[in-house]
Parts: sequence; structure tokens; C-alpha cells
Amino acid sequence: MSYLILGASSGLGRDLAYTFAKNLHNLTLISRDDRDLAPIKSDLENKFQIKVNIYKVDASSKDEVSSFLKNKETIFNDLDGVLFPIGMMSNNDCISKIGENADIINNANYLSIVRFIEKIMPIFERKNNGIIVGFGSVASSLGRKTNVLYSASKRALNSYFESLISTSNDKNIKTQFYILGYLDTSLASDKDLIFPKASTKELALRVYNNINKDSIIKYHPNWWRIICYTISIIPFYIIKKMIRFIK
Amino acid sequence: MLKKKFRSLDKTYTADIILKKPDKYRNIEILTSNVENLITMGSGKSYVAASFKKDNLSLELSKFDRIINFNKQEKTILVEAGIKLHHLLYFTLKHKLWIPQIPGYPSITLGGAIAANVHGKSSATHGSLRNQIKSIRIFHKTHGWLDLSESENKEIFELTIGGFGLTGTIVNVALKLIDMKSYDFITTIEKVNSAKDTIKKLDLNDLENIFCYSWNKTNNSKKFGEGLIFRNKINENSTSTLLKKMEYGENKIHQYFPINLWNKYTISFFQNIYFKYYNFYKKKIFYDNFENVMFPYAGKETYFHMFGKKGFFESQILVPLPKVDIFLNELEYNFKKLEPDITLFSIKKIMDKDLLLRFSGEGICFTFDFTNNKKNINFLNKLDEICIKHHLKPSLIKDSRLNSSTVQKCYKEYDIFKETLLNFDNKRIYKSELSERIGL
Repeated sequence: MSYLILGASSGLGRDLAYTFAKNLHNLTLISRDDRDLAPIKSDLENKFQIKVNIYKVDASSKDEVSSFLKNKETIFNDLDGVLFPIGMMSNNDCISKIGENADIINNANYLSIVRFIEKIMPIFERKNNGIIVGFGSVASSLGRKTNVLYSASKRALNSYFESLISTSNDKNIKTQFYILGYLDTSLASDKDLIFPKASTKELALRVYNNINKDSIIKYHPNWWRIICYTISIIPFYIIKKMIRFIK
Repeated sequence: MLKKKFRSLDKTYTADIILKKPDKYRNIEILTSNVENLITMGSGKSYVAASFKKDNLSLELSKFDRIINFNKQEKTILVEAGIKLHHLLYFTLKHKLWIPQIPGYPSITLGGAIAANVHGKSSATHGSLRNQIKSIRIFHKTHGWLDLSESENKEIFELTIGGFGLTGTIVNVALKLIDMKSYDFITTIEKVNSAKDTIKKLDLNDLENIFCYSWNKTNNSKKFGEGLIFRNKINENSTSTLLKKMEYGENKIHQYFPINLWNKYTISFFQNIYFKYYNFYKKKIFYDNFENVMFPYAGKETYFHMFGKKGFFESQILVPLPKVDIFLNELEYNFKKLEPDITLFSIKKIMDKDLLLRFSGEGICFTFDFTNNKKNINFLNKLDEICIKHHLKPSLIKDSRLNSSTVQKCYKEYDIFKETLLNFDNKRIYKSELSERIGL
């Protein structure tokens, strides 16, 4: 089988690429860093004798994504599944500082995925077969002071995948959505977080093991479901008071 | 910035450091550009603090572990420097190729091995890792990306091999591979009566046994150095085609027991058991697998844990052949006089070109492990005096006590290394506890 991974050069995307490669699936890997994609391609091909195609696309750029989707249409025909382990944060992501980063964050975390799925969905519908895997964030469960647009775009993505599951309910298209807690990536390596960081390797394995399951929405690690559910049932004015109290 | 407590393998140096794990090439550039000083970390398993320093940035390259190019016909491989040696070997051995200069612990990274110019147990046959290196690509804060080889930036190429990471971050390396006919070995064990007897029996012209080293007892001053010589040759008649996947635990080696459990009684107890097991119980010639031969320390981390929180010292001394007798006489004299607690004593041959600060040359390499106490430090200081007197080389990557004065006197090319490094990097950006301690 053949899978496309958007955001494959590092973190979860890279571990997904290795997990799928180990299971001898051909891969199409997309990232904005071709310097990192090239070694991944050669490493995977040398170690697992699979076929890997790589493309340099900056998912935060609407133009680059559009141009890629327009010019490389044929690569989608042979795909059996697509995975979107992509996410982007900015130090300026707060109410009064976001500026031009708003489009970049929104594109990388939400709109580029929407554009890819818009292109791929008709192909999967035609084949009446396909797998779409998206990755949200627990950050989307509550508004915040920093990473404002990041959490907003992840909440939009969450809603979009719910719609996708509803749309593809009667077809043989499996839509899976993972809402992720803290992950042990280079982005989080120097952050002192109150909850433990989950291994991206273990998550990649979980995603692979679930790949043939019907449409699902899952938290990773699972215990984040309880935290997010608790947040969702507490009235917002109490949360506001709690935040003030903690401060 | 979040700091992390890190300690050297010998546990004699602990510091809070800033540890970053880049996973993209541009992250190496960004992280390097943000600081004045830094050093690169491989797997962080050096005996001394070669990959960190208090409050300094350490760039840990474990994500850079990919095979960039492999040419089976030409027997070359281009790999990223963060690859662990057992992963590299697992890949190349499947193609019946390898590099033989492998240190005793499997999860050392290739970059770390180059920065220390390791020689492994086959140094008398294959020399050091330098002999397998075709080219190196480094990233330096001021010089950017640099390709180093015999034909390109040769001076920095030589400075980087065995240069303790002071010329920049080693990012990828092209290696020349050697044919490997079989995954299995034949191990031969020979009893020796003393350290001098060991030297006599370590045949300098033996090219059949690619690994040859001794294990010597230290619990009996009357029979100082009684022990065993281990010789390993490749079993060319082996029909084994399956190579077991080599997987090793990551951080066990840094753990320790609350107190030091090594003393003259435990040393004597374990040395006698080990000696009797190999001398009386084990066959003198037996078939051995690749992992046992290559990575004798793997799975025996308890040996290190037993030194407790205070840790230990490892001393490795390279003695030129004409000076071996005189060194052994002085060693034995001081051993009887100061009665140090030596937990490990091993001897092997080294045959390699002597250059810069590399632990290389032609001679006999003596390795000792000591518990960390005053009596043993006195003995080690005595060894330093012997090294200075006879121009012997103590290993910089093993002994965390060595100071710049001793190193300057023992390494004749110390000043050349220092000057060349300063010419290349006048701000001396890449620093570690080791580099500062030895005055670089």
C-alpha cells in the first residue's frame, strides 16, 4: 500500500514514515525541508527496500500548496491513505502580536490540510477506498493567552474532521482523528510541562495499528480525554475564575 | 531555558547543561547561531565530560542517524554522525561489510567515535577509525558548512578526527567499509602468569586474530597481572547467515548504586571467579557470536553501577614498545607501594600513526579502572609522573583528572593542535569541560 505524509521531516511525521516503511509501505513524503527529506528517503529506501517519493512544499504557504496540488495531481491516484501530522507554532501567536503570522499558522495547521483533502477526497470516493488521518491538539479544548491562533486552527481542524467523518460515513473511506497531548518533540524538548510528554514513536505505532479501523476520534495519551471532557463541562465563568485564582 | 543535570560516565563531573536535540538541518544552524559557546553530544557516554560543560549548550544529534548513501560495489557508506555504531553495523553487516574499529559499548555514535578517534580492540590490525574515514561534513558557527577530506580542508579534517568536537558539529561522514566474511568468531583463551608474560604473548605480528587483548588480575601483588589473553578471529567456515538484531538499553550505563561496592575484597572475589570461570570451566577455544566479541561491556553495566555515586577513574596509557619493560617495572613498584584498588586491568596492542592529540602511535596500551578515593588518586598521580618522565601518552577521552600541564608534556603535538584550532576558530566557540581542563 502507499501513503502520503504531510510534514514528514521531523517529529511525529518522521516516526510515522519509519513505522509505515518498516511495514513495507511505499511513501510520498512532503515537507518544507528538502534537506531533511532527502536523507529520510535514502535511509528508508536503503533499510526497507520500499519506494519513497519526496516533495518540498511549505504548507504554511497557500500559493505553494495550491501550485503543488495543481501540478502534481497524478501522485494522488495511487495513494491508499494520507496522514497529516503537521503543526506550526509561533512565538508571536497572541492576540495583539500575531500580524502576518495569522495566515501562516492558519495555513499550516488547518487550511493546507483542507486543500489536500479537497483534492484527494474525489479520488478516494471514486475508488470507494481510502484512509485519512488528521492530528489535532488538546490546545484546542480551551482558549488561551499564547498560541491563540494555533489552538483556534486546531479547533477548526477538529470540527472539519467531524464533518469529514459524517460525510464519508456511508463510504469505505476511513477518517481518523487523533487529539494529541504533549509530545516529546524537539519543539518541546526545553519546555517544563506539567503533564508528561508522550513518545512520538509509540504514537506512530498506535496510528499504524489502528490504520484499518473505521472512522475514529482518539486522544493520545488516552487520559487527555478525561481532562478535556472535564474542561468541556465546567462553565466558562468558573474556568475564568480558576485561571485568575491560579495566577 | 530548561537545564538538565548531566554526568560523565565515570561520574566524576556533573553539571547543569542546556541540552537541545535538533531534528532538522536548519535547527542546527538556528540553535548554533543563538549562543556564544557550544559543543556537540553524541550519545553522552564518554568517560570524561567531552560533550558538555556547565551552563553550556550541548547539541545532541541522535535524530541525525540516517544512511544517506550506500554503495555496495565501492564499499562506501555516507551516514549521518548521530547513528549509533550498533545500528550502523547492523546495516552494513547484512551486506557483509563493516568497520572493525569499534569501541566496547554499542550505543556510541559515529560522530562521537570520530571525535575521539576510537581504535577498538583491533587496533593492531586495523589501526584507528581514521583509517576508514573518507570525508566528513561539519557545521561551524562562523565557517558554516564545511566538507573535509584528504583533498579538501585537509588540516581541519585531521584536526576533527580525534579533535573532541572542537572544530564544530560533525554532521555526516563517508566511510570506507571492509569485507566481513562471517558474523561468527572463534575465541581462544590463553593463561598468562604476569603482566610481563602478557606482553611476551601478545604477538605483534599476529594478523590472523583481529582482536587480541588481555584481562589481568590485580588482587595479588606477588602475581601482578596474572590473567588471560583473549584472541578472536573470524570463523570463515561459519554457515550462519542470520544476523540477530542488535538492540541495547539506552541509559542504563549512567545509573549507579548509592554506595561504592568495589573494595579489595569484592575486587578479589570477582576477579577470582572470573579467572576461574575462564581458566578452568570455559573451553580454551570456542565459537563466539558477533555481539559478545564486539560489545563485551553491553549487558554488564552493573560493573559501572557498583562504583556508586562517587564514580571511578579510567586510565589508559600508550607505552611505546622500547619503554614497555621500564613502565611495567615502575608500575609494579608503585602498585606494591601504594596498593591501589584496581577493578580492571587490560592490555592490548596499538599500531597507528601518531598525530596531534590522538591516542595513537605504536605500542602497548594499558587500561586500568580505579575507584574514586584518595589512595587511588595518589597512584594515578604517580602514573602521570611516569608518563611525563618517559613521554607516554595518557588517554584524554578516558581520564577525567588529566590537567593541561600533564597533557602538554605527554603529547608532543599539543601546541600544534592548539595553534591550528585557534587559527581556525579564534573565538574558540566549541568548548567542553574536557577542552577547558586540558587548556584548549
